[in-house]
Amino acid sequence: MSATGTRGAARNPARDQVAIVGIGRSPYSRDRAGCTPGSLVLDACIAAARDAGLGATDIDGICGSMVAAQYVQAALGIPAVSWFANPQAVIGNQLVAAVAAVHSGMCDVALVYHHAYRLPWASRSAAQDPMRRRATLGVADARSWYGTGHVDTGPNSMFGANAYAAWAGRYLHDHGYTREALGRVALNSRTNAAANPNAVYREPLTMDAYLAGRMVRDPLSVYDMDIPVDAADAFIVTTTERARDLPRPPVLVHAATLGHTDYGSEEQLRDLDHAGQVVVTRKLWAKSELTLADVDVFFPYEGFSNIALAWFENVGYCGRGEGGAFVAQHWVEAEQRIVIDGRIPVNTHGGSLSEGGTQGAGHLYEACLQLRGEAGPRQVPGAEVALVTPGGYYFNSQGFLLRADR
Amino acid sequence: MNDEELLDAFGGVRIDHDNAAYHRGLLERRLLINRCDSCAAWHHPPRSVCPRCWSRSITPTDVAGDGFLALITILRQGPPQPGVDYAAGHALVAVELDEQPGLRIAGTVVGAPAEQLRVGDRVRLLWRDLPGRLPRPDFEVVR
Repeated sequence: MSATGTRGAARNPARDQVAIVGIGRSPYSRDRAGCTPGSLVLDACIAAARDAGLGATDIDGICGSMVAAQYVQAALGIPAVSWFANPQAVIGNQLVAAVAAVHSGMCDVALVYHHAYRLPWASRSAAQDPMRRRATLGVADARSWYGTGHVDTGPNSMFGANAYAAWAGRYLHDHGYTREALGRVALNSRTNAAANPNAVYREPLTMDAYLAGRMVRDPLSVYDMDIPVDAADAFIVTTTERARDLPRPPVLVHAATLGHTDYGSEEQLRDLDHAGQVVVTRKLWAKSELTLADVDVFFPYEGFSNIALAWFENVGYCGRGEGGAFVAQHWVEAEQRIVIDGRIPVNTHGGSLSEGGTQGAGHLYEACLQLRGEAGPRQVPGAEVALVTPGGYYFNSQGFLLRADR
Repeated sequence: MNDEELLDAFGGVRIDHDNAAYHRGLLERRLLINRCDSCAAWHHPPRSVCPRCWSRSITPTDVAGDGFLALITILRQGPPQPGVDYAAGHALVAVELDEQPGLRIAGTVVGAPAEQLRVGDRVRLLWRDLPGRLPRPDFEVVR
């Protein structure tokens, strides 16, 4: 499969016709007491609606990840919706569905959300909260949730994080990299997080400290894996026509896509040329007349550091296996971060590795801030086009070209 | 072995009509992988149709268990399980079976320090009974 599609070859009737008009979040935290997945989502949804200047009666569509749309509707007193859905996480699935629903007329104003919640087995501090022991009571485990046929998530299974580590090792092996190639992704996130008050890890990280980090799943250490947080992000989506009557600068969804290939479990993925990311980027560029040269800020998901290197390759900055070298070439030593061609910063908010792990929702939120010109000290001057690629290799690869309405 | 006995033998595992034969095989120390009667393609995990030709005529078929290490990680922490030593580093691998390119089985490798394993190492199937562990295929390096 080629990494890039033919410009403009794919249908894209929704191009620039749907916009994100409100953003809200429950601030990311590693030590918040008393919250639930539901309360986090509600806080974010209220913030997003207020940001958009809209209330409960304006919302007629709801689309979230794990917290049921019906729960949110009742809790926020939204009197009537004509469309609702709970696609599989992560945030790109919700956004793509909402864009399609708004553009097709299933609803006019859609509320989109995703949350992260620290579970006792992933966080020592979370284990101190007895309520969290029951946070997944009655919730299907990830195997049945995906429906992919996994029967084992234990230490002899290539499931989720285990498989990302194994494919990271294969990447280093196949292309002759050392762990520094992964480390630059982690350092970039940490450096950028310093300017983001929402980030949970803001103190500097050196390469020496990175290399000395506690190994968890070789070759991935604690610094290569996203930070468990209590957090939620929410977005209000409506037509661009209506967006122009609302208070905030619209963020236009120029092109959006999901991508997946024909394997059912992580170890069966043929190789990284056949990962969902390849489908995403080929389709994304085919749906747009924009090119990489138009991109002002890039948000490759890095919930595991190796995922970002693959995104650099798949969006077309470099070829297969060259992601580590590309990042090294565009590494600004004095700033301890990536600036592509001296112009394009990467994950300006600190990403999942330092802002906190929300599976790409934080990346999307920051892209909106940047295109609205509201990123404060992190603002990319005159940012008009953001490339956002949430998701990893398997089951959840997603891509967005977002534009400022200028 | 009837279905009830199979469910009892794999407590807590989501045994269903599509993967029952695979698990029955494990109890007999046989690695049975689904193979299409029409086009001879192998697939795993087990499904009800052949992903290559859509035939529903599928036979769980013995594989030799020979292959090479395609994916390797070393787990340093995780849920306790018999035979898993996180302190020493637990090797988790995907073995690519000789029967078909890309046909892989996840498991562990015994008899060699995890740090010494390399992509491409030849391995063969090994059956072990570990108290408290459900039957599953393991592998050992062929030197």
